[in-house]
Amino acid sequence: MTDAPQPMIRLEGLTKVFPGQQTPAVDHLSMDIPEGEIIILVGPSGCGKSTTMRLINRLIEPTEGRVFLQGEDVTTVNPDALRRRIGYVIQQIGLFPHMTIADNIAVVPRMLGWDRRRVRARVDELLETVGMDPGTYRGRYPKELSGGQRQRVGVARAMAADPPILLMDEPFGAIDPITRDRLQNEFLRLQADLRKTIVFVTHDIDEAIKMGDRIAILQQGSKIAQYDTPERILTTPANEFVEQFIGHGASLKGLTLVRVSDVDLAEWPVAQAPLDRGALRRQLAESDKASLLVLDERRRPVKWLTLRDIESPGSLDDVGLPAEPAIVEPNATLHDALDLMITSYTGTVIVTDRGGAYQGVVELDTIMRRVDEVRRAAVERMRKDEPGSVPAEDLAL
Amino acid sequence: MSRFVSYVERRWDHLLDLTIEHAQVVIVALAIATVISVSLGILTYRREHAANAVLAVAGIFLTIPSFALLALLITPLGLGYEPTVVALVMYALLPIVRNTITGLRSVDPAVIESARGMGMNGRQRLLRIELPLAWPVILTGIRVSAVMLIGIAAIAAAVNGPGLGSDIFDGLARVGSPAAINLVLGGTLGVVVLALLFDAVFLLVGRFTTSRGIRD
Repeated sequence: MTDAPQPMIRLEGLTKVFPGQQTPAVDHLSMDIPEGEIIILVGPSGCGKSTTMRLINRLIEPTEGRVFLQGEDVTTVNPDALRRRIGYVIQQIGLFPHMTIADNIAVVPRMLGWDRRRVRARVDELLETVGMDPGTYRGRYPKELSGGQRQRVGVARAMAADPPILLMDEPFGAIDPITRDRLQNEFLRLQADLRKTIVFVTHDIDEAIKMGDRIAILQQGSKIAQYDTPERILTTPANEFVEQFIGHGASLKGLTLVRVSDVDLAEWPVAQAPLDRGALRRQLAESDKASLLVLDERRRPVKWLTLRDIESPGSLDDVGLPAEPAIVEPNATLHDALDLMITSYTGTVIVTDRGGAYQGVVELDTIMRRVDEVRRAAVERMRKDEPGSVPAEDLAL
Repeated sequence: MSRFVSYVERRWDHLLDLTIEHAQVVIVALAIATVISVSLGILTYRREHAANAVLAVAGIFLTIPSFALLALLITPLGLGYEPTVVALVMYALLPIVRNTITGLRSVDPAVIESARGMGMNGRQRLLRIELPLAWPVILTGIRVSAVMLIGIAAIAAAVNGPGLGSDIFDGLARVGSPAAINLVLGGTLGVVVLALLFDAVFLLVGRFTTSRGIRD
């Protein structure tokens, strides 16, 4: 790794022993965090992952070891000044309840002495960025927002002064699963533009796989069990601890790493108004499918029609099964697709573009092929690595 | 009853003067007690032992009978205004200091954590986050003290202190005479009206000085 560009964050022999405790919470941790990536610290509770993160902005002072930001040793600089350079988001969010949303977001810029116009412009820009209308939300108070909106404001507040680094401690941990999923996706979309260096703590391996460019799986004392890309962690876990931590169904989890846009879509017979019974019957007979997909005038999927629907006496408008909810956009993961597929009427998922127009379908076969590929790649790699797999220490740096 | 009404009409200026005097001495004592108590609260809310010591001392002050305290203060401070203010300050400490400590301690730890994480130093956290969030609780303490002081201040007449107590004491000294009832009743009425007034003022102050984000 000597020829690699300078890491954004370098931890060197970082150790924390809490007063009155025998075993260190963090034990000689060394780690490089490259610029512009999301690094996930994941591990069982009590492994020291949160402590590790809080050593970076020195909310906890290390007993030993050093932290470098862009090559600068920050172990001895003023901690308050240091923290203003690093965004910080926690699970409980900790918005200031007596301040408006705008004032919450403006805290760090004001401490940094920005003038009023610049602060105001930045607040509005950030609210837009996290998908909240500034006019509506600027003057509201935290208690007037939903959990998901508060989390968005928390992220906006952390990014207020445009810090290159963001520390996030289980940021989506206290949010219902549906909102969490949406926030995760939004955050990934945001990160694709912002390219911040993000240290993200979670105990949820699925979240780690979804969010991480790299994942550090930590054991007791923040010892690195494996520090690698999600793909490699899933396909070639470094040791038994990692294997156990990933749990069963690594290949299923691997599906979250593949986007629908990465696989070849299958064709499905489609029809558009005006619907003609004879033509529909012929079309269905020529295909090997049991139903047709009806699209509206803008090619958006409406419903499925089976032969029985077509033969039914009443109007064609009243028959058929709705296409919703088994519809995904190309940026959905295969995992999402499979999830919808299992409950869909036809055992397929419809893929549409951003505007909702039909593009094709994903079938179970497509997903099975993908799982197979991943498995074969993993076996091949294991053969190459023989004898003996790569020790965790070598992967760490 | 009608005799009392005509008494109040006749002595209106006098009663008003006494009431204003009464209010003034309470406001002065309350202001001093607030400064002392809030400072003590800020200094001790993070230190368990110190906080307990402060609360214990303030608690002891409050248990001293007011007659006894005023009498004890005659030796160092003489009669009149000074011993009255000092005694009132001593009584006002406990509710305010206790509420200051409780209020500061009840600030959500996640809020403090995020304030720290954003790079606010101790002073900024105290002034911008902790005190504003604890303010409604502190204000309640001040309000409790205020109402309590209005009652206790009446006793200050025992050491020639200012306020409505002088009429009450005059009345008590002339028990049996026709004027006695009017004097006592007039003084007491003044005290009650003043207490209600203070309470209302504090409710209003609370409304205007508490952020909309933490009001119920």
